[in-house]
Amino acid sequence: MASVELQGLTKYYNKRRALENLSLDIHDNEFLAVFGPAGAGKTTMLSLIAGIATPNSGTIKIGGREIGGLAPADRNVAMVFESYALYSQFNVYDNMAFPLRSPKFKLPEDKIKERVTHHAKVMRIDHLLERPIQALSNGQRQRTALGRALVRNPDLFLLDEPLSHLSANLRHSMRVELKEMRTQLGTTTIYATHDYREAMSLGDRVAMLNGGHLLQLASPDDVYFRPASIDVAKFFGDPEVNILDAKLKSSGGSKLSLHMLEENIPLPLPPDVVQVLNEKHTSKIQVGVRPPDVRIAREGDKQAFHATIYSFEPLGTRSILTLKAVDGSLVRALVDGHQTFEMDRRTQFRIDPHLLIIFDAESQRFLARSAEFSEEP
Amino acid sequence: MDSNKGIFGLFGSILRNFVLFLYALFVLFPLIWMVILSLKPDEHMVTTTFIFSPTLENFRAVFGQEGFLRSLWNNLVVSSLAVGLSLVVGVPAAYALGRYQFKGREEIAFTFLSFRFVPEILIIIPLYLIYQKLGLIESVSGLVWVYQLISLPLLIWILRGFFEDISPDIEGAAQLDGYSWWQVFFKILLPMVKPGIVAATLLGFILCWNSFTFALQLGGASMQTSTVSTTRFLASDTVHYGWVAAAALLSSLPGVILALLIQKHLVRGLSFGAVKG
Repeated sequence: MASVELQGLTKYYNKRRALENLSLDIHDNEFLAVFGPAGAGKTTMLSLIAGIATPNSGTIKIGGREIGGLAPADRNVAMVFESYALYSQFNVYDNMAFPLRSPKFKLPEDKIKERVTHHAKVMRIDHLLERPIQALSNGQRQRTALGRALVRNPDLFLLDEPLSHLSANLRHSMRVELKEMRTQLGTTTIYATHDYREAMSLGDRVAMLNGGHLLQLASPDDVYFRPASIDVAKFFGDPEVNILDAKLKSSGGSKLSLHMLEENIPLPLPPDVVQVLNEKHTSKIQVGVRPPDVRIAREGDKQAFHATIYSFEPLGTRSILTLKAVDGSLVRALVDGHQTFEMDRRTQFRIDPHLLIIFDAESQRFLARSAEFSEEP
Repeated sequence: MDSNKGIFGLFGSILRNFVLFLYALFVLFPLIWMVILSLKPDEHMVTTTFIFSPTLENFRAVFGQEGFLRSLWNNLVVSSLAVGLSLVVGVPAAYALGRYQFKGREEIAFTFLSFRFVPEILIIIPLYLIYQKLGLIESVSGLVWVYQLISLPLLIWILRGFFEDISPDIEGAAQLDGYSWWQVFFKILLPMVKPGIVAATLLGFILCWNSFTFALQLGGASMQTSTVSTTRFLASDTVHYGWVAAAALLSSLPGVILALLIQKHLVRGLSFGAVKG
């Protein structure tokens, strides 16, 4: 158990930047999900902490102890690799026992057996201990790799996309299992993933990386509802968030309303949002609307925007509807799967101003989101 | 339809096996001929008759010759030491060439491979002169050294492919599991490239064992290997084909036996690292 402190970590591979000036603190016992697309620097970050790669600059502290010069073996860190990195010449048991036979963490064989069988039971691979690695499915390999990391009670767990090579079903059940395991583990864990669902479901906090930069470090709720920038908002959520241009107009007194999609429908902004906008003196804004927050309205609704159905993708309980608004921009909506929509039919939709995420149009950064959720009209 | 196919299938399989048999005969005939020659008495030597009373006289004569056993021993010592040295030098070299990105990596790898391009006979005279100056003529170390031209490129190129196939993650994982880099190398990496090591060692040994030009010119009279001493039976006045055949047979035996023993590793070792996307 230990806290982790990264200070100004920078890593270049030849001339290619992998991480740039990354600083973040991970609390003791925290489960930090590091989320980002391929090439964001997630694996680099983990390798630097593990000591497999050396940073060009910056410091790493685990439990307050600077570990920059230490060999990987001396850091007491366990890592599960995306490729699992199992030793193909050994069977499952020997793979899991390997750390405990090392000069660093040596235990007598009977103790090893005890620990390996215990953790194999936890990972539900106790019936596979004699199997060679080649005879395992991907899911079983993944469990073996996790088991090998678990057996030696490290200060810190590094998990590098452990679920990415599993089938969709297995991925979901492993995600649930990991969530359960993580309460039992009680060890600081850094979990890299390119799946925003994994990041949000598992992480105490989520660190969003892209292009070697840290874009946001916050709770899953904050990252989703109050994303630091338009980029971050786009990475979380499927279908992707709608980013729309909007104009601010004063609607008497201190009130402000939004106009967008070239229609004359003022959306009154909640007072807490107005307050932030006034403080920041921002006039040019863009708004983010999550597809589930776009509601199909009754025909003739005065407060609803007009559109035609551009595409319709039924996905079972939910359907993705793409609407072409009056100004030609496309708006994605996530609607109830029981309804069907004909292409090119005219329809109307509503956007609740309380659910808008307001961004500065110039800096593309987060400005405000109402803290109060509106009652349905 | 089905019965037609069955008949055709049967016929096809007979035909296929017959063709394979012909090919095997074609390939093995020199060997078979050599065995026959080695068992023939001198007077039947130039006839093509297959009916004769076999004799071990030729083998007796070969073993009776002074120095033949000695030359087998010489060959064994020189070839083993050469392959041994290649292993010590070549395994780390193959690892470095397979794992590290550095300037001139491909050039160095290619230089090693290019050792195999030049016909031995082309470089033997300059080599002879250099060896003479260095006093390496007719010495074990001299032959071991020159045999590196044969076994080292082979070993490096086979093993390089193997090392490239091992994910660097494996090394990282093993280091995190509490091992130093050297322990990782010996406990994890070497066992993983074992098929390649076996195949390259065996092939290198056979190629060194069969080497003729280097051994003839640089080994001289006192460091004769069995390939060279076999030719001593080709005297200017009489040629004892039976003796030559017996000697050649004896000196080809180790290679054949070794190859048969580790056939499985050989195929795996040579095909494993070679197939690349």
